[in-house]
Parts: sequence; structure tokens; C-alpha cells
Amino acid sequence: MKGRGRVAFIVSFLAPAAIVYAGLVLVPLIRAFEFSMFRWRGVSNKRTFIGDENFRNLFQDRAFATALTNNLMLLVGCGVAVVALALLVAHGVRGEGRLRKILRSIYLFPQVVSVVVVAVMWQFIFNPHGLFNAGLRAVNLSKWTHTWLGESAWALPAVGVAFVWYALGFYIMLFAAGLEGIPHEVNEAAELDGSKGWHRFWRVTWPLLWSVKRVAVTYLTINVMNTFAIVYLMTRGGPDRKSEVMLTYLYEQAFVNSQFGYATALATGNFLVVMVLSLAILFVFRRNPVEARP
Amino acid sequence: MYSLLALVACALAACNGGDGSKVEGAIEVMAFKGGYGIDMYESAAKEFQEKNPGVTVSVSGNPRVWEQIRPRMVAENPPDLMFPGWGMDHWALVEEGQLRELDSALDGPAYDGKGTWRETFDPNMLKLGQKDGKTFMLPYYIMVFGWWYDPAVFAKNGWTPPTNWDELLTLCERIKAKGVAPIAYQGQYPYYMIEGMLYPWVVSLGGVQAIVDAQNLVPGAWNSEPMLKAAEMIDTLNEKGYFLEGSTGMSHTESQTQFLNGKAAMVPCGSWMESEMKEVMPKGVTIEFMRVPVVAGGKGDPTALLVGVEPWMVPTHAKNADGAIALYKYMTSLPKAKEFVEKKGTLMAIVGSDQAKLPRVLEKPAAAVREAKTLYANQHRQWYPSMQKEIEGAITSMLNREITPKQFVDRCEAAAEKTRNDASIPKYKMSL
Repeated sequence: MKGRGRVAFIVSFLAPAAIVYAGLVLVPLIRAFEFSMFRWRGVSNKRTFIGDENFRNLFQDRAFATALTNNLMLLVGCGVAVVALALLVAHGVRGEGRLRKILRSIYLFPQVVSVVVVAVMWQFIFNPHGLFNAGLRAVNLSKWTHTWLGESAWALPAVGVAFVWYALGFYIMLFAAGLEGIPHEVNEAAELDGSKGWHRFWRVTWPLLWSVKRVAVTYLTINVMNTFAIVYLMTRGGPDRKSEVMLTYLYEQAFVNSQFGYATALATGNFLVVMVLSLAILFVFRRNPVEARP
Repeated sequence: MYSLLALVACALAACNGGDGSKVEGAIEVMAFKGGYGIDMYESAAKEFQEKNPGVTVSVSGNPRVWEQIRPRMVAENPPDLMFPGWGMDHWALVEEGQLRELDSALDGPAYDGKGTWRETFDPNMLKLGQKDGKTFMLPYYIMVFGWWYDPAVFAKNGWTPPTNWDELLTLCERIKAKGVAPIAYQGQYPYYMIEGMLYPWVVSLGGVQAIVDAQNLVPGAWNSEPMLKAAEMIDTLNEKGYFLEGSTGMSHTESQTQFLNGKAAMVPCGSWMESEMKEVMPKGVTIEFMRVPVVAGGKGDPTALLVGVEPWMVPTHAKNADGAIALYKYMTSLPKAKEFVEKKGTLMAIVGSDQAKLPRVLEKPAAAVREAKTLYANQHRQWYPSMQKEIEGAITSMLNREITPKQFVDRCEAAAEKTRNDASIPKYKMSL
């Protein structure tokens, strides 16, 4: 098949998907940028064009800055925790043995549970009279008990713990697949060369997980920056915005304050932040370090 | 990106539908399905249909009905009569011209023909739906704010419900000595502390005008002497360890459950308390309402009571507004209001409805309303939600002892000033 016929053939396959994508993703995105330039309360069709006013307000909005900072803190904290734990568990569940088989069958369990259930469960655990404090009291650590979801210093970390618990299974699966993907010959060669333990992990395993890391970090970034339900249900962004994230703030602006135009500007801001972070991650991981070696 | 798409989907949905065609005799009602359900509205609709041949009424509702109502308002294809519930920004509807002014209907005859329809309602409650003297929203059931205690626990320990601040401090000390927390509060929803302590004490210390000024954004009202003293009273209770440990992190149901389980002796909450908690009410536990203990010799009316309503409204673009008004007249007629009081266990804004056989738990709130010489509401919560959010954040920080009462009131004043100076925020006036 050559020339025009080939193009027509390719277009005929791409067109349905492209049309659906344009209709359901691109057009709404463009409309969203449009709405962000209006003052619109979302209860009538009256909209006032205000140009870039929503965006100028966004830059001066301390609550937005707090929310963005909290998102980034969650990203760093949860990112490190998820990658470290996922790698650890992925290593742990490799191979034979009954316990490992059981572990393999349950690590995805939190992902199967609705995020609402996860949030309610962790709210119960972190309740001042809940499981976590009860556990601390049981091992004579009463002085370490806190109002985890009500204290400024602890609300965000507590939400982060719930997020890690919820998200971990997926990343374990990714890393487990990545570890399986490392050719046996490479491991055997490393072993023959006397590379063991941490040395082998840092010199062989870690670099060879390049593509998995790239996917994991990108996906994790998108997930953390778009966190809503866990935060909203566990703390509602409190106390005093100490666990506010961008999407809980967006929800407040749209559905509590009836500032739909401003909320759309916030959503646009969120979109741009996620886009920039994702591009930065792709840039950092642009070259496979293993292939790059001479 | 999902957030962007969701907002756009909401907007696009609003562009569809709404042919504007009028169906003769059909009345569509959409109602919030909260603790009181929608069965009473359905039965009222059925009766109204039977009394008015040729009229058909459809009633629908769910716990998040505002989500269905919102796009229909944008599309100018709303129901004829609606009770959108707490998730809808009622004042945005007023500002956007989406609600029908109801004064001419209110000045018409009541359902039973005795007097005007306006006279059917408690005027204090009617005011809560007015702007510049025009009525856009009508009250139905009302909520009264106070504190709750278990009379059996109090009797067993020889405690008496405190009527003033000094008695409260003495009682709290005795309760604490028994190893029980004197007071629990709903930390994740800080307005319970604003309405259950701050406001009543501001009114007690500075008179109701102090709270009217604060809501009317009068400069200096939010860091006035009564406001500071009221904040200091909350801080005193906190400092003395009279609050249930961990309350700041608790939701309304969590803290109220702690109270019902005897971990705390008192809790601030509205008259909906029992209906909200009936599923988890331990066997044998009874609860009783009491007025918030005031400051002895305070400037304000000691009978003053904080009340609230969840209003009903007729949209501007309702296809059958006359039908909607006629139906709501029937729903707010005295026999129907009394029936609602008896079956649902709530007070109503309809004059005389408290003469119905009240559930035991409502007797005290009803008596408090009857005795009150001053009824007032927290209206800025709906008028200025972003200011309310800042005040809620500040009170939480004060309860966490991260800021002082002085810093709290200064933050409130700053939030009020920001609201006052923001020309894009419509302003309202509270009057008594």
C-alpha cells in the first residue's frame, strides 16, 4: 500500500479515536481556558468577561500558594515513601514460598477498595480515640499520641500516610514487573563478578529499572497533584488549611463560594503545574542510562 | 486535568435542555433529602393533587439534589418549587436573578383564608430570606442552636445545667474531677464553635447589636471588646482542659458520639441533634437541650437564641410558579406544619406549629424559642463564605493554641475588611 491509499488507510484507523479524544478532551480543555477568563457564579448563564483577572488573583492568593506547597510536600514525602516501599515489597514478594504467594495476592487490595472507604478507615485509625493512639498507649508511648488530623503539624503527614497505603499496591506491581524484566543473564553476570546486596542494587538493579521509574514517578506526580477525595474526606483541608491541596481549594471556590470562573482558573493552574512537572520528569528521565553507557 | 473537565462538563450540561414549554397544571418539586426525608413533601403533593383536579405534582429529591438543580438553573429549566439544601449557594441565586420575589404572594391570602400568607410565618424567620426588604426565600423547618447534656448523667452526679459563665466554670471543674471531659466539640466543622460559643457570648457581652455589626462588616466589629472577651472565654475553657481531648480533629458525628458514650458531659449542637444521632444513640441514653450559659449581668438579652432555616424557593424561570406557590401555601398551612412537627420531630417557622404534640426532645428548644426576646442567625456564613472559611480557620488555630484570642479577632477583622473592600462580593445587611 503506497501514497494516498496508505494515508487514507492510516487516517481511517486514527480518525475515530482522534474524534472522540478531541470531543471529550481537547474541546472541553479549550472551553475551560475560556471559562477561566470570566466571572461566573455557576448558577445562571450570566458570565462577565474579565480577561486575566482570575489569573492575577491566583498569583496573589495565599490559600492557593498554601495548597500548592502542600501538594508539593505530599509529592516529595509520598514519592520517596512510595518508591522506597514499593521497591522493598517488590523485592520481598519475588520468588517462591507460601508467605510470598500470600503477599502477592494481597498487595493490590487497597487499590480495589474505594478511596472513600480508605479515607473513612484512616479517619477512624487517626481519630484521637482511634486505633493508632490506642496502639501507642498499648506499648506505653502515650506521650506520643496526638490529634493526628486536628493538629497543624500532623494533619498533612497523616493524610500522606493514608495516600501511601492506598497507592502503594500499584507501584509494587510496577516495580515487581520491572524486577522480573531484568534479564537473568545480567544478574548472573553480576553475581559472577562478586556484586551483591546494596552494591548490586545500586549498580545493576536500580539503573535497569529506568523505564519503570519513569512511569512510576510520572504517574505518582499526576496522582498526588490531583489528590482530592482522601484529603477532603479526612481533614477537609484543615486545620486552618494546613492540609489544603489544590483540588480541595478548587472545590471550595466552585461549590462553596460559587466562583466557577476562578475555580476554572485554579484548575488551569493545576493543569499547568502537573504538565510542567510531568515534562520535567520526562526530561530528567530522557535517556536510558544503561543504553547511554559506552 | 480531571478537575478542568469536570467544571467544563458542568458548564456544557447547562447549555443543553430547557425548551421552556409550559405544562399546564404540572408542578415539579425538587427537594433536599436529608434527615427528614421527602416523604412528607410527597404526601402533601398527593393531597394537593386530590384537592385540585387537573394538577399533577411530581416530587423528587436526594441527599445531593443541589447538584441536579445547579445545571438546570443555568439552563433556565428549573423545577417549579425547590428546596436545594445546604450545598446550594442560595444568595448567589438571589444575586443572579434566579429566584422569584415572593412578596406579592405573601401579601395574598393564606391557605386557610385567615389573614395573609405572610402572617403564617414567624417574621424573624421570614427575614432570613430577604434582601433589601424583598423576600426571595421562604422558611420551612427551623433549627435552634444550643448545648446538649444527658439529664440522667447530670442527676446521678448531682450536676445542674449551668445558666451562666460562673456556674459553667464551677460545673466544668466538678465534671473534670470525675474524669469526664466537660465539653466536646466538632473540630472539623468549626462553625459549631462559632455558633455554639462565640456568637452567644458576643451577644451576651455586647448585646445583639455586636453580632449585627459584625455581620454587617462594620469596621472594628470583629475585633471589638465583646468579640475579644468571647474568644478569651473559649480560650479559658481550653486552657483549663475542659474540652474533650482531640476534639479539634473530630467530625460532628465523632464528637457527638463521644458525648453520647459519656466521654464528654456537654456538646454544642442544633435542635437536629437527636435525629442526626438516632442510629448510634446508646440504649437508655436521653439527651436534653439547654441554652448556652451566658455572662451574668451581661449587656445582652439572656434569652437570645441563635436560629437557622433551610429555605424553599420558586425559581424565576419556573414554568408553573403559581402552582408552586399554591402548593407551598398548602405545605405551610398550620395543620400540615403541625403534622410535620409531630412526624419529623423538628420545629417549624409556621406560627402556632409548636402547639402540636412535640417530641420530648424538642420541648426545651421550643420553650427556648417561645421565651426568646431576641432571635438572630449566622447569616454571614452564607453571605460571605470565603470570610467564614477564614474565621473558621482562625478559631481552629486558636483552639490548637497556635494563636491568641487577640490574634484570632484580628484575623477575623482582617477577613471582614478584605470582604468589605472587595467590590466583586455583593453586600448584605442584617437587621433585627
